[in-house]
Amino acid sequence: MAIRESFHSQLDLVKHQLLEMGTRIEDILEQMIQAFASSDANRMEQIIKDDYLINQLEIEMHDQVTRIISRQQPVATDLRKLIVALKISSDLERVADLVVDIAKQSKRMKKDSLLTFQVKIVAMYTLAQKMIHESLESFRNTDLLLAQKIAGMDDKVDSMYGELIRELFKLNDDRIEIDQITQLAFIGRYIERIADYATNIAEWVVYEVNGKHFDLN
Amino acid sequence: MALSQKANIEYHTNGGPMEQAVTDKKVVYDTKDLNLWYGKDHALKNINLSIYEKEVTAIIGPSGCGKSTYIKTLNRMVQLVPSVKISGDISYRGKSILDKSYHVEDLRTRVGMVFQKPNPFPKSIYDNVAYGPRIHGIKNKKILDQIVEKSLRGAAIWDEVKDRLHENAYGLSGGQQQRLCIARCLAIEPDVILMDEPTSALDPKSTLKVEELIQELKKDYSIIIVTHNMQQAARISDKTAFFLNGEVVEYDQTDVIFSNPSDKRTEDYITGRFG
Repeated sequence: MAIRESFHSQLDLVKHQLLEMGTRIEDILEQMIQAFASSDANRMEQIIKDDYLINQLEIEMHDQVTRIISRQQPVATDLRKLIVALKISSDLERVADLVVDIAKQSKRMKKDSLLTFQVKIVAMYTLAQKMIHESLESFRNTDLLLAQKIAGMDDKVDSMYGELIRELFKLNDDRIEIDQITQLAFIGRYIERIADYATNIAEWVVYEVNGKHFDLN
Repeated sequence: MALSQKANIEYHTNGGPMEQAVTDKKVVYDTKDLNLWYGKDHALKNINLSIYEKEVTAIIGPSGCGKSTYIKTLNRMVQLVPSVKISGDISYRGKSILDKSYHVEDLRTRVGMVFQKPNPFPKSIYDNVAYGPRIHGIKNKKILDQIVEKSLRGAAIWDEVKDRLHENAYGLSGGQQQRLCIARCLAIEPDVILMDEPTSALDPKSTLKVEELIQELKKDYSIIIVTHNMQQAARISDKTAFFLNGEVVEYDQTDVIFSNPSDKRTEDYITGRFG
């Protein structure tokens, strides 16, 4: 018999809202990669403009969790659920910021410049995108096995990033503008950071369940 | 035994500075395989608990879980119930208190008790506090004055009553009466103070005052408190024992119990999923 039903339904609502925020982030990630692939500057501009919406969601989550903690004095798992909601919402907000950073750099990329590298960027991005998706799925279903798998994916992104940087530095062709190389290096770095945030989210899922911190990185 | 052993291991493995200091503390009460029956009703089942000195130990659990019964075994008050039967052992400072050779009067001069409802005697504030020392044969007015002042100060009520020591204690507010009862308890210089829901009849401000007082008192006394208020246990205790159906489900550092308990039943109780 549950005796704090209204409180526990508030907790369910927090989770639901956080997952909605996650869906928004996934949507932005998808828009970004399409804009990148088609060098669509307008779309990138829109992504930059809409970032404030995600910031608002994070603030709303923060206020709501603060209200629940002050009024309900949660403990143990309940408290961890709320702390984790705060942490994941700020991780998601950071992911959105990184997408904005990618959009800003991408706007300065010339269409078809360094095409083989752009392909590598897309592959790396797609993997980071998958990591965000799976970290959110592991949160949705409290799936610890999936959360642990994300660490392995992060290693892959890290090595793709290392390889990208090494190859960019090897370029020795006067026809290529140095700023194009720099943009790609920055974009690679942002993608690598997005993958790190996916790993963070997975770590919070483990913490929510076990109350213990695991470094999946 | 398993539970108290487990609790001890936790202190070592958790390892913070506070936890390490805990291991140096002496055991005040050691309860071993305690069983208690009220007639046929098996009220306490295989209780094993070590309670440490100069700490606040909270006992929580739903109504009828045996927590009040347990605290009443610690000063043998439970034996006032005619049909009660006890097996196992409780030692206080290394001596078995269930042994008939242990005089209950000796025990109760070492172990004071504060109850749910403040229960001052219908006497003056002064006489309430001086009652115990007088029974112990102290007649010297100066010494009694000193004891009364010291005890009232110890219970954080001196400033409120020093100008009306000879007025009837019934004129005090509920919160003041409860602190007077704590002062009465301190007057016999006990080693342990048992508290059975000491703030459940008090308003929030008085409750916080008594909680603050408990934090002060634990510097000199060992305190065992039964409480229905889980936030209170979380706020003031060092260790918490969770009782359910006459058993100790979990006994550990309060930090652990309220952040990451190891038993699902503890988790469900403290998060309000049953109770």
